[in-house]
Amino acid sequence: MSERPDEGGGVDPQVLARARARVLGVPSIDAAEPVPSGVRTASDGTRVWMLPEWPDGATPALLEEYDTAPMPLDRAGQARRVLAAALRCCWLRLDDAPWPGTPAPVGHVLEVYGGMTRGDADLARRWATGELRRLADTGWLLLDGDAGTVRPGPRTALWPEGSLASLRDLLRRLPHPPRPEEPGGE
Amino acid sequence: MSEVFEALLRPYDERRRAELVAAYTAVEHAAEPVPEVRFPALREPALRRTVEGMLALSGRTLVRSDRTKWISGYRDDVAAELARDPACVPSVRDRAVLTLVLIHSVAIPRAAGRLGDDSWLSPFPTPLDELRRRTQLPVGELDAALRRLRLAGLVSQVKAGSEDAGGFVPGPQFHRLTPAARRRLQEELILAAGPDSPLAAAIRARRRNREHDQGENT
Repeated sequence: MSERPDEGGGVDPQVLARARARVLGVPSIDAAEPVPSGVRTASDGTRVWMLPEWPDGATPALLEEYDTAPMPLDRAGQARRVLAAALRCCWLRLDDAPWPGTPAPVGHVLEVYGGMTRGDADLARRWATGELRRLADTGWLLLDGDAGTVRPGPRTALWPEGSLASLRDLLRRLPHPPRPEEPGGE
Repeated sequence: MSEVFEALLRPYDERRRAELVAAYTAVEHAAEPVPEVRFPALREPALRRTVEGMLALSGRTLVRSDRTKWISGYRDDVAAELARDPACVPSVRDRAVLTLVLIHSVAIPRAAGRLGDDSWLSPFPTPLDELRRRTQLPVGELDAALRRLRLAGLVSQVKAGSEDAGGFVPGPQFHRLTPAARRRLQEELILAAGPDSPLAAAIRARRRNREHDQGENT
């Protein structure tokens, strides 16, 4: 209970809506539904994802300037490499923004990832498959299990344009994704 | 872009404004409470109140730790509202696994005097075997629950060392509990671990009285 007895249901609905969005990570709503004020949004035309609004465009990267550790992530290196492999496959027009990107087969992502790592290829695929799921749980990627495809997650819409140059350079150096299967193709 | 913050930030000059934004970003995203010596907007009470106002826009507040460190957490009234929303509450399996970790890593060492009174962080890992045995969950479901709890920062994995077998401890989110939330959690654990104890009876009586009082006030 708070220091003052709370008045029960006295929380401003807009405040509660923002708090709820934070608890849920990156929740999505139908594009026709109203969006609470004070959240940023990323839309792919049919759905709208609610993203946190940060003051003056500050991102969590600011922690580095203050030598402050961010929330820990298990196997952060692997997570970054799998995210990079996925972006290689579904951020095809690198001059554009990564969001909303293009769906790519999960198999292509695993192949690109395999080309980035050494050692047991089967094991690498298994690790990467689990990592794709974790990246999808946290809004960095969108996985379509039925179609077996992956595309950039709404969180990528939070990347400021100014920070994308080094990421684009990095992705250009990664192995090429397999060519999309065209009718009559391979 | 960030119109919601504008009303609070507008009165400040550029330097102060940057300090406020830095403090806000740090307490919202850091793994652990941040020292106020490094953030002027946390050190000075007037600025700290503005940081608190920025946090309140999304139902959050400042939580003090070790006297001179700060982190953010949900305000008690907001947490109570969110807890009524099934979509915002972890599944019963995840909660069961988390409760076991709290019992083994915090409640038992605390009862034995090996852990301070008001901390929910612990150096004593709960072994995976213990979780397997006590939850009686199929291995796949236990693993999935632990994955979700880790991802949410509610538990951390401790790798096996030379002396101990490793396991799971409460995660960094436990830094973010307000004093009232810590007290409530302590009470819940007493109710769960010793429902027939005199302490549990006292907690139930106090809660009944409080509900009764609130009932009369509304």
